[in-house]
Amino acid sequence: MSIFNKIITAIRGGATEVGEAIVDTQAIRILDQELRDSKKALGDAKTSLTAIMAEKTGVDRKVKELNAKIKEHEGYAIQAMDKGDESLALDVANKIAEFEHELTIQQGILDGYDSKVTTLKKMIRQTERNIQAMDREISVVKTTEKVQKANELASAKFSGSNSALNSATDSLERIKARQQQREDQSAAAMELESEENGDDLQARLKNAGIVDSGSSGSSVLDRLKKQKENS
Amino acid sequence: MSNAKLEQLMSDLSNARLSDGTQLSIEMFDGEDSVACIKVEDREEFPIYMTADEGQILCITYLFGEDQVVPQKRAEMADNMLQMNVVIPLSAFSKIGDQYIMFGALSPKSSIDELLHEIELLSDNVLEAIEAMSDYLQEG
Repeated sequence: MSIFNKIITAIRGGATEVGEAIVDTQAIRILDQELRDSKKALGDAKTSLTAIMAEKTGVDRKVKELNAKIKEHEGYAIQAMDKGDESLALDVANKIAEFEHELTIQQGILDGYDSKVTTLKKMIRQTERNIQAMDREISVVKTTEKVQKANELASAKFSGSNSALNSATDSLERIKARQQQREDQSAAAMELESEENGDDLQARLKNAGIVDSGSSGSSVLDRLKKQKENS
Repeated sequence: MSNAKLEQLMSDLSNARLSDGTQLSIEMFDGEDSVACIKVEDREEFPIYMTADEGQILCITYLFGEDQVVPQKRAEMADNMLQMNVVIPLSAFSKIGDQYIMFGALSPKSSIDELLHEIELLSDNVLEAIEAMSDYLQEG
């Protein structure tokens, strides 16, 4: 079963009844245990990799020694032939054949170790990736659980009841109304400000004699008299 | 480690404001110091829960409970949510237990500006989402 599937099982397990904890703590414990097992397996794999590499180094050394010995004896055989000692040369050649036989065996062991090391390294990389993925997923599930608890706490604090029961659309309406109120307030404030500025301007214009300083009884009477004369 | 990370984020956020000057209030939410609660000024109805660990920073907001959904329209709503997921900037729909949520996830290496951007968008997206889903929700 993939990690994702396990997590879905873990989450679904607890979510069968409304209001119940979402995470099946038992399932999480199992995942935690699997994670610990994987980590242990990883440790073991690393230990055996170390051991195999040590053994491989030993075989490696033997192979090198054999190669050196073969080269050395080939020199001896040539020297014996140069001296015309055919039987000595044959003895040396037999020795070389022995070394070569041993070399074939040791080289085979060495190749075996090489492929073992490659496999182990691959396995370790895979396990490490799995552990990382599991770590991440478990942490998300646990986080979700904490957030769920936090929301329940918040609901209790917020309204003395479960805020899940408070309608989301009502909340949205409240927020919008507040926003509208703020906008109205700032619009009103701006209007007020401009009015104040306007009043101020009028006063300054009057003081400067540019705008008529306002109608009075006598000025109205003057105007009416003029109208009468013209008519 | 994650708690230290969360505390650091909280202290960075406490002096920050959103791009339009909106204030945030932040408090550690639970006794385990693992969940922070962020409230955007004037939108206190939809608090944002933030958690942080080695893997990611998560910001989650609860939208509404299953009980608020008109049962006959549930499948259509779920379908709509899935389709909208790609289109909504940075946030996605999801569900915890019987609660529909909207969330955003960030790399733990994100800067405080990136986190603020996330919070701002999530807060906007939540209001948009509820508006968009209101046809599927029960009246009142």
